[in-house]
Amino acid sequence: MRPIRRLLVANRGEIALRVIRACREMGIEAVAIYSDADASAPHVLAADMAVRIGPAPAAESYLNIGAVMDAARRTDADAIHPGYGFLSERAAFAAACEDADVIFVGPPSEVIEQMGSKIGARALMKKAGVPVVPGQAPNDQTDAGVAAAAEAIGFPILIKASAGGGGKGMRAARDAAGLAEAIPAARREAEAAFGDGTLYVERLIERPRHVEVQIFADAHGNAVHLFERECSIQRRHQKIVEESPSTALTPALRARMGAAAVAAAQSAGYCNAGTIEFLLEGAGEWASFYFLEMNTRLQVEHPVTELVTGTDLVRAQLQVAMGSPLPWKQEDLVQRGHAIECRVYAEDPANNFLPQAGPLSLYREPSGPGVRVDSGVVEGMDVPVQYDPMLAKLITHADSRDAAIGRMTAALRAFPILGVRTNVAFLLNVVRHPAFASGDLHTGFVDEHLAALLETPPPSELVRAAAAFVEERPAPSASSGTQPGPSRTAADPWADPTGWGR
Amino acid sequence: MALSRGTSPNELIARDGDRVDRLYAIVSGATTWVFRHGIAYEVVEPTAPRRRAGSHESLAAPMPATVIAVNVQPGAQVSRGDILVLLEAMKMELPLRAPSNGKVTAVNCQAGQLVQPGTPLVEIGE
Repeated sequence: MRPIRRLLVANRGEIALRVIRACREMGIEAVAIYSDADASAPHVLAADMAVRIGPAPAAESYLNIGAVMDAARRTDADAIHPGYGFLSERAAFAAACEDADVIFVGPPSEVIEQMGSKIGARALMKKAGVPVVPGQAPNDQTDAGVAAAAEAIGFPILIKASAGGGGKGMRAARDAAGLAEAIPAARREAEAAFGDGTLYVERLIERPRHVEVQIFADAHGNAVHLFERECSIQRRHQKIVEESPSTALTPALRARMGAAAVAAAQSAGYCNAGTIEFLLEGAGEWASFYFLEMNTRLQVEHPVTELVTGTDLVRAQLQVAMGSPLPWKQEDLVQRGHAIECRVYAEDPANNFLPQAGPLSLYREPSGPGVRVDSGVVEGMDVPVQYDPMLAKLITHADSRDAAIGRMTAALRAFPILGVRTNVAFLLNVVRHPAFASGDLHTGFVDEHLAALLETPPPSELVRAAAAFVEERPAPSASSGTQPGPSRTAADPWADPTGWGR
Repeated sequence: MALSRGTSPNELIARDGDRVDRLYAIVSGATTWVFRHGIAYEVVEPTAPRRRAGSHESLAAPMPATVIAVNVQPGAQVSRGDILVLLEAMKMELPLRAPSNGKVTAVNCQAGQLVQPGTPLVEIGE
């Protein structure tokens, strides 16, 4: 046992806040890091200490291993939680922590290294008896070399960042012309997002579901799975709606996938929280699943698992990092009810989901029984242009899938965000779509139903009347400001000269 | 029908006979944003159209972005759909495509430059 007294959170936004919350509950001091774009961001204001690590571009701040390690040294932090994205799956970062004798909340660096390489991960999975999709990372990484490898596997083909995740640097191609466009674009995105342009090509399985299994292992040889999450609703190869349980799994298939995931984790010498992602072809007893990749970190969508299993995964991560055994045995874990997560982004669905930056002039989160919001923004702040534009995760939990959908629908209808375009109306159309209700999901769901999902009614007479109302009677508080900082929020009572009540 | 302010800032309550409804509305620049039942509406004040009809069009970045590549020079003949400028914002590539066939009359950006929305990057004439 090695206790953690002070933990540095090497991330920003909602996940930094999530980790800080867990620290507070465990009596651990939390250290935030920030770039110049985030000097008064919510994760900074929530921490016990906050250290500037560089200018706004992520490559010079949140991705700068030296700067993060300096911050850890300066604050005498005895552990680092990497969150997701940024440095979370950089073996070099975990290794830097090991060298500095700082606890890295995650698996050992060599496991990250092995699982981060698609080749290493596949080889390991094959050895553990887990089925894999045909594909390879060509030795010849020139355009021609990657194209030749792709054509050898056959179209349709998927080009992805070998170091990647989250859909960045991922392109599909159906013919040689598409391939010629996809390869350089994927490489550039891979370089920008991960600092590594190595590409991987694999057979594209049509109409698959994305079903992943949460696993957890400790340093004493124990490993469990916490069931599945279905994440088939994606746009730009990025998940936007996740749920557990999956409508495609039978108890027997669930048991098979869970056992495969645990076997995979154990053969990798895994420790801490991880996720084995599978592509599922078909549904029910006759479905086949293929190993897609392993994420050696906490996932964005971890709350879905927390709600159905009644666990606290971040707390468990910290306990395991301190050397404690897993807080659960496999037979203690059950799925209870149904949970759905919607990722709320500053983006314009009607314009190819183009990320949006700008002022969050109005931002009010829904609440109530079975409604959880993990967010990293507050009303009045600017959504910065430099980072991922996810604003919040809205998660609902209920006895049944139908009830969870009902809760999600009501919560989205009560989630006003104004000043910057978001995907709230789009998410509402997803969860209300008959194909979603029937559980008929696949990773092409958004593309297949795009026209219906983009539909919004024109502004009604009431909406126009409301617009005219505020135009004629501007609110006494500053509401149209673009200046960052919580002091400018419309909800700030001090900014309102008329007093508290209205 | 009557509108009045609700309990939180920028919340509006609409009452029509026995019916009650809730909205949020806020003025931000030239746009008034209204939220009702999960949908955010942008009600734009009617202003003179910025784009002169037909003969001339300019392409601007939709958001702050970095120019990765400029594929055309002034005088180039382009076809509708051609990628004229490649931008990057939030780690994603955003191609700016020609909205119509025409001739490039001006290029106002270069690779590596950070550009703001609304600034014309490429202008196309007939």
